[in-house]
Parts: sequence; C-alpha cells; structure tokens
Amino acid sequence: MGRMAPRMRVKGVGFIILSVLLLVPAGPVPAADSTVTISQGVDADTLNPLATTITPTFNVVGHLYERLVDFGTSAGQYDPKLAVSWKRINPTTEEYKLRRGVTFSNGDPFTSADVKFSVEWIKDKVNVSGQTPYVRNIDHVDTPDPYTVRFVSTAPTAIELGFAQPIYIVDAKYFREKGNAYVADHPVGTGPYVLREWHRDDQLVMDANPKWWGGHVAFEHAVFKPIPEAGARVAALRTGGTDLITNVPYQYQIQLTGGQNTKLVSTRSYRQLFIAFNTLQPGPQQNKLVRQAINYAVDVPAIVKNVLGGRGFELTSPIPSNYVGFDPSVPAYKHDLAKAKELLAKAGYPDGKGLTLTLNAPTGRYNRDKEIAEAVAGQLQAVGIQTTVKPQEWVAYYAQVARRAETPLYELGWNVANADADGVVSALFVSTAPLSCYNNPEIDRLDLLAAREIVPAKRKALFKQIATILHEDAPWIVLFQYEDLYATSKRVRWQPRGDEAIRAYEMTPG
Amino acid sequence: MLTYLARRALGAVWALIGVTSVVFIILHLTGDPTSVMMPPEATKAEMDAFRHAQGFDRPLIVQFGTFALAAAHGDLGLSLRHQEPAMGLALERLPATAVLGGSAFLIVLLVGVPAGILSALKPRTWIDYTARGVALIGQSAPTYWIGLMLILLFAVRLGWAPASGIGDWHNVVLPAATLGFFSTAKLMRLTRAAMLEILGADYMRTARAKGLTALRVSLGHGLRNAWLPIVTQLGVELGGLLSGAIITETVFAWPGVGRLAVQAVFERDFPVVEAVVLIAATLFVLLNLAVDLLYAVIDPRIRYA
Repeated sequence: MGRMAPRMRVKGVGFIILSVLLLVPAGPVPAADSTVTISQGVDADTLNPLATTITPTFNVVGHLYERLVDFGTSAGQYDPKLAVSWKRINPTTEEYKLRRGVTFSNGDPFTSADVKFSVEWIKDKVNVSGQTPYVRNIDHVDTPDPYTVRFVSTAPTAIELGFAQPIYIVDAKYFREKGNAYVADHPVGTGPYVLREWHRDDQLVMDANPKWWGGHVAFEHAVFKPIPEAGARVAALRTGGTDLITNVPYQYQIQLTGGQNTKLVSTRSYRQLFIAFNTLQPGPQQNKLVRQAINYAVDVPAIVKNVLGGRGFELTSPIPSNYVGFDPSVPAYKHDLAKAKELLAKAGYPDGKGLTLTLNAPTGRYNRDKEIAEAVAGQLQAVGIQTTVKPQEWVAYYAQVARRAETPLYELGWNVANADADGVVSALFVSTAPLSCYNNPEIDRLDLLAAREIVPAKRKALFKQIATILHEDAPWIVLFQYEDLYATSKRVRWQPRGDEAIRAYEMTPG
Repeated sequence: MLTYLARRALGAVWALIGVTSVVFIILHLTGDPTSVMMPPEATKAEMDAFRHAQGFDRPLIVQFGTFALAAAHGDLGLSLRHQEPAMGLALERLPATAVLGGSAFLIVLLVGVPAGILSALKPRTWIDYTARGVALIGQSAPTYWIGLMLILLFAVRLGWAPASGIGDWHNVVLPAATLGFFSTAKLMRLTRAAMLEILGADYMRTARAKGLTALRVSLGHGLRNAWLPIVTQLGVELGGLLSGAIITETVFAWPGVGRLAVQAVFERDFPVVEAVVLIAATLFVLLNLAVDLLYAVIDPRIRYA
C-alpha cells in the first residue's frame, strides 16, 4: 500500500499534462491597439446567418455577412448595404439594384442569384430555419439580371418586403457545394470581417476583410469572447480582458462610471416590458373597469426608480414613443389611487374586496423581470387587490403563455427590430396572433389596413385609432422601455443602438 | 476476475441505457424547443410547420424509438441549435473540462487529504481548528460566491490572474481553486473522521508499543486502514469534477462541458443534453469500476471472484 499513493499521484499529474497538451492552442495574439474585444453573455450558436433567430448570434454574423438594406440608428431609417437603391414598381413588387463588384470572401462574385437563393433557403422546409416568419410576405423572388432583384408579394405591404426583417445574403454556389453542416462554422460572406478562428464558448476572432466594398475599418481585428455571468463580465472589463460588455446590471453603474479605464454607455431600447391581461380566459381580468383600475393603481415611475435604478422610460401606450406609428395625442394612464378605487367600486369590488389575481412572470429572461412583477403586485395591494406572483423558468413559462388559457396575467418583453407599431399590434393584439390574448374585430380590421397602407400619413392615422381603442379597452398594464446598459474600455468609442445590435465597424479608437 | 469484469460491463451498459432513457423522457415532458427556436412573432402555422419538420409532433414513444435506434448505432443526432453532431460538440469540450477538473482534483488530493490527516493527528490544536474552519467555509459558501470573490481579489484588485476565459496556466488557478474548494473541504472532513476512528483502534496501540516511529504508525497503519472510504469519495469527486462544473465554468467563462450542458438545457437542445449526460454517466461508471478494483489492492481481504 505504501507505494500505491505516489503512483496514483503520478498518474494524476500525467493526466493533467496530457490534457493541457490536448487543449487547442490559441492562435497568434493580434496587436492590442488594433483589436476590439466584445463580450456578450452567450456565444453564437451557428455562423450560418439564415439558421439563427437570436440577437447575440446576429451580432456576430453581422460582421461576416450583409443584408441588402440594414437598420439605421433610429426608427424607420435604413442604410443601403448590398442594395444601392430600391423602388416599388407596383403595389406588390419591389425592385432592388444591387451593388456591383462585390465579392464573397472566397472570391465568388455577389449577384442576384445569391439573394434569390438566400430567401429560398429559408423557405425550404428541409432546412428547418426559424427565420420563415422573416420572409413570410415574400411570395417569390425574380432576378431579371445579375444586379437586379424583385421581391413579389401576394398583397401590398406597408413596409417594404426587403426591410421588415432583412435577411443576410449567403453565397449560393458555396452553400450548394458544401452543405448545411459545413457552412455552419465555415462562413463565407461579403461583410467587413472574415473569420480567422472560432473556439466555441472561448473566443471567435475575425480579421478585417481587405476586399470589403465599404473600405477601411478602425479596428483591424474583432474578437467575440462570451462571458455568461454579469459580475464576471464587469471584472473582465475592469482588468482589460475585454473592451465592451453587454447587459450591465445597474448595480455596477457607479463602479464603471467612476472607473479609471471604463465608461458606461447606454441607450433607450426598443424593448418594452408589459403585463398582459388574458381577456380570453374567464376571470376578473375580463372586466374592462378592473383593467383600467389596475392601470391607474400601478405607479410605473416608482418601479423604474426603485427596481431599475432609474434606467427605464415610462410608456404611455403599447406603441412606444420611439416607434413609427406613435401619436402623442392619445391619452395615457397616470398613477391615481383615488381613480383606481372608484373604478374598482364601480366594477363591483369596493376596496378591492374579493379580487384576487395571479400574475405569471419569467425569471432571468429580462432585466429584473421577477422583481418588477413583485413590485406591481405590491402596488396593487394598496388598492386592496390580492396578487400572487408565479415566477417560472423561461421555456416552460413561454410555452404556457403561448397556450393562452393558463395565465390570467402575464409579463412579457417585446422588441421590434424595425421599431414599427405594426410589430406590436400584429403580434400581440390581433386575435389570430399566437401570443395575443385579446380579441377585438375592430383592431384586427384596422391593423390589416395599416399593414397594407403605403401612404405614411394615412398609416399613422390608423395607428392612432388603434392606440385610442387600446387605451380605452386596456388589455395591458403598460409599463416601460428599458435603458440598455453597456460598458466599454476608454480605448473604444461606440454609441449603442436601440435594436441591441453591436457592430465593431461602427467603433473607433477612443 | 474476468467474469467479474464482464458482469460489471453488462451492468454499465444497462446503467447508460437507463440514464439516457430517463433524461430523454424528462426533457421531452418539459416541452419542445419550438418556441425558443422560432422568433416570437411566428404565427401558429409557422410554429406547427417547424414542429412537424423537427418531428416534435409525433407521439413521445415514437420519438423515443427513433432516438433509441439511432443512439444504439452511436448517433445522437444533430444539435438543434448548432446543426452539428451533438456528440462532437460535447467531446470538443472535454479537454477544457479535464484540465479544470484535473487541476481541482489535484488540489483535493494534495490539500484535502493531508489537511485531514494533520487535523486528526493534532486534534483541538490551532491546526485542527484552522483546517476545520476553512472546511466549514468551503462546504457552506456557494461556489458562485467564492468564484466572484476570488475574481474580485486576485484578478481585479491584485491583478495576479485573468478574470475569466481559458489560456495558459494562469487562467486555471482561480477556477480550479473555486471548483476544488468544496470537494477539498469534504475530503478533509472525511479523512479526519476516518483517521480519528482508526487512531483509537487496538492495533494502533500495538504499533506504537512495537516502537514504530510516529510517521509509520499514522501513515502505515492509520491511513492504510482509513483509506477505503477516502478512495471511494475521491472516485465520486473525480467523476463530478470531470463531468463538467456547471457553476464554476459559467462564472469563469470556461468553455467546458458544464457550460454547454446548461445552455443546452435552457434551449431544450435535446441531443446535446443527451450527449453530455452520456459522457458524464460513462465517466462515473468507469471511475466506480476503477475504485472497486482499487479496493482489492488497498485491502487484501477483498477479492473479486
């Protein structure tokens, strides 16, 4: 026995050394001053830009691939990318003139065939892409010549087909030759960067694409280094391990603002948080007076101040004020306890007696989601309404909400990438939408008109009508939009965007 | 001996089949991943089409049959998220987890066991109190908190080690210490208890009476007899350490199996969860076998026929 222990120890050491040798060595480290390192919470799930639906992945592939038209920095503004110009040639057909002389990083020329292929790849059931909703209104794509594409729809659409949720364009020839499994981690795009190496969950290193049509980028190398834990992200930034971190909990704001090498940057998000009443499910929430009373009882500024450290913006309507389609003349609910009590009495619940509600909320999906639900429940207590908060893990929670019959009140966040009112109304209020717990034929009718109305002023008037009905009927507790917090090292200058996109080529040395 | 090994191998196969089946059924009962894989604005028809293409609309028993048949051929399928073979994704993470788990195990072995012995040999002295105090912290403080505190002290304040990520040996120190802390504390307490029990035995008094040196008495006679529960526990700990440390890997952004497992569970990426579970179960089965075989070496009274 006396000899046993040392032998075990030697084996242990040998095992460790072997394991270290097995580790893939990190490539040559690029010079620090020409590199920007970005840390999101999670890594990209795939580098096939047509196969993902999550923001952190779009942020990575957005460096390697490009869209015809991309979102600008404010609502309703679009930047030309692979398309240089566009026009409607009739109510159901849009024509895009493509940028000439663009090549993919493997040398293949970019042509209209690639655009057609990209749309059709998503539509092809074999590929099981989650992006089918992005191209649902495109009936087919015509390619009259290599530098012209036409998107054709079956009905007129207010927002151009190529704009609503623009897709990334891939190399048709390369995709066909290599197959789906290969292209998932061997990206070939037209974007400002090309992939150098990717070690999943460790780091993804990109180099500037010397052939990019857009010219020179300020940072020669861009690195994505995911760090799941918020506190660890902050520590990595403070120690120079990364240059930009996302989803900064507001508790860290003082530390980062006053930091020697760090600064806090923020922007008003397009994402709003709301609590919906399930008006399809029997219960007190079907009573309009109760819904109105609750809207008066909830003190949104207090929640923003106390639960979010002031990092939020109170909303007056489900159509946020930074969306296309917002109208400031639509009335709003202001915190008013007396009014709330009066409405409750009128509804048959004097002093809230006999009124009990269950508020469902996700945990860890949105910033402070559970805490916000608890704060709302606390405020309803003040008018005598007993509210039980039922928090749940996201996937199970979301599935329950989507069944539309088990959640009398539920909290949800909503982000519309193009900041257009239709993205809220058609997905959350139109009776046939999977997440809508509201059925009002008038809203259905008005939204269909708005979705097809090409004249902006007429469309805005339609949304004003919709917002007015939604105010009166109060199918939601309207809450707030988040202020997204990021932090960067002082060597990087960058302005965050409302759509949560992060682009290394929009950054400059600070 | 050969019969014994054959019997154990058969048992192992059953264990693996059992574990993968249970995991499959539990995962599928918690709902399918369509809602997290489609954008939220998807219509019901779009969701149904996706569900159908993925086969989630088939009865659970049919899905299980298809899975079992493919798995029997060593094919766990493509990851739903990554569209790549699930087993490959999991195996790719093993080296990183092995480095972290192996380093943590070294700490357990080189700190936990000696501290337990010392503590038992010098009960109610400052050595004993210190070791037991530290062990108490190790067992009661959450790994998550220990990790963040170590980052704050050694990475942010002192700048001795990187705060997160993988790289050279500097990167291993903090996560290995965090990961190893809990197991070290456990082993220290176990070793101490096992040693204390042995130290009072008659043969220990005899050994001392024979005039053996204190070192030979405590290690040759004491530790040798206390070894059995310690080795068992070491085997269990090693299995746990090597099958992926979920919290430590998450806090330190370590690209190992544990982090993959957490993401896969949150995203309901069934094939990847299966792959990770299969790897972990295999590790445990192998280590248990190794520990059992070690018994015979440690204690000659144990023989496998």
